[in-house]
Amino acid sequence: MSGPAIRASGLGKLYAVNELRYRRTLSERLWRMLRPGPVDSGLPEYLWALKDVSFELQQGEVLGVVGRNGSGKSTLLKILARITTPSTGQAELSGRVGALLEVGTGFHPDLSGRENILLNGAIIGMRPEEIRAREADIIEFSGVGRFIDTPVKHYSSGMFMRLAFAVAAHLLCEIMLVDEVLAVGDAGFQEKCKRKIQAIAQGGGTVLFTSHDMSAIERLCRRVLVLSEGRAVYFGESADGIAEYRRLAG
Amino acid sequence: MSGFVVRPSSEHALIDLAELARFRHLFAVLVWRTLKVRYQQTVIGVGWVVLQPLLLTFVFTVIFGLLIHMPTDGGRPYPVFVLSGLLVWQFVAQSFQQATSSVVGNAHLVTKIYFPRILLLLAAIAASFFDLLCTLALMIVFMLWYGVAPTAGVLAFVPAMLLAAVTVLGMALWLGALYVPYRDVGHLLPFLTQIWMFVSPVFYPLGLLPPKYELLYALNPIVVAVQASRWAFAGGEPPGSGMVAISSAVAIVLLLSGLWFFRRHEGRFADLV
Repeated sequence: MSGPAIRASGLGKLYAVNELRYRRTLSERLWRMLRPGPVDSGLPEYLWALKDVSFELQQGEVLGVVGRNGSGKSTLLKILARITTPSTGQAELSGRVGALLEVGTGFHPDLSGRENILLNGAIIGMRPEEIRAREADIIEFSGVGRFIDTPVKHYSSGMFMRLAFAVAAHLLCEIMLVDEVLAVGDAGFQEKCKRKIQAIAQGGGTVLFTSHDMSAIERLCRRVLVLSEGRAVYFGESADGIAEYRRLAG
Repeated sequence: MSGFVVRPSSEHALIDLAELARFRHLFAVLVWRTLKVRYQQTVIGVGWVVLQPLLLTFVFTVIFGLLIHMPTDGGRPYPVFVLSGLLVWQFVAQSFQQATSSVVGNAHLVTKIYFPRILLLLAAIAASFFDLLCTLALMIVFMLWYGVAPTAGVLAFVPAMLLAAVTVLGMALWLGALYVPYRDVGHLLPFLTQIWMFVSPVFYPLGLLPPKYELLYALNPIVVAVQASRWAFAGGEPPGSGMVAISSAVAIVLLLSGLWFFRRHEGRFADLV
């Protein structure tokens, strides 16, 4: 069957700026209630981290989400990944969704590499039989070799990153949401990530990823979504989108 | 082919059992991680699970048994008496503190990946059941040593622990959700646990209280859970049916209201934690 893999309409996320600050402790809140007279900052100030974002993504498509820091890219991904609920709008995702907002989520320093494969694999949504079936490939891909049974706290940061990425690279799902993963690691690591994204798309998977790396966007995506101050300012062909991003960033 | 819709919420049910079933593998891995990490890099490892109640039993026996001459149910030896209480209490204290702290303690997961957040609480409670089983083995050793026979109350032990677990889950759903925006809960938690122990008949017998206050006392379901353990392993009287009814009602209200409160707020945990 074909049809949109992701259909987002009117997605928005509203944050109360002061609420985040003032609700840290109950006593501060009580203090504010007890204190007579005008309250210094008044009502909470609200901030739309994301406002009225709509788009459709077909199966097998790779969409690049670009924008300056604070433009709402991560908020969009967090909403699509169900980590946080939207304030307005809705999105439908059809297919098994894998979200990689970082590599190595949940890695525990005291556990060995092999144990962390099991832990991280389960966290990012792999079934136990999938993890078992791919364990040898993951270890091979990571290149940590005989250190696989050593606690990862003794790993170099490069080894840690390679193992974490190796697990993520073996996650198979129909829709992948990938945030800024390309920004970490060395050139070889970034190249691996790009090839992985291409392979997923060629296999009929849908990928939505955020990046500041325009050469990666150009190579991997046919279409881009440009965000600025939480709003979608452009959605379409990647060449024009990149030009729009450069204009905003410049 | 699976999929889902995200929307501003929140007309969802109190609990989505089908979804929890889909996440059972993650639940199992979280329990395994908790146990594995807890005893990693310790010299005696799992030995701590038995050593903790053993040391506590020793301390309580010296203070309350030898110095204060605390009466016990049916005049049973104080070590057997107090361990049958600690059996339940250690489970309650540990699972309550860990389940309540579990959302804040796993902020790195909550902000990066989706799963039903209640899974963290359930995993914390399940991991405490492992410790309970070890303490139960110690209980059996004590009973053999002091020649105390179990009673028909052993049949009530499993339902009693279920009552305790439901109570803990209800409390942890409320406090765990409040902990996310209000770190005050972290400071409150040790006091609350300590007070909870004093209002449960852990180191003193239920009979120490004037009987007219029994039903009031049963507002704390752990009272009934501890008494059921006493009945099973240390020759105590079974808890009265009025007490059981009140405790069960309190536990169910705590659980349902806790589920409601937690579900109402879990969508924003990632924003506030």
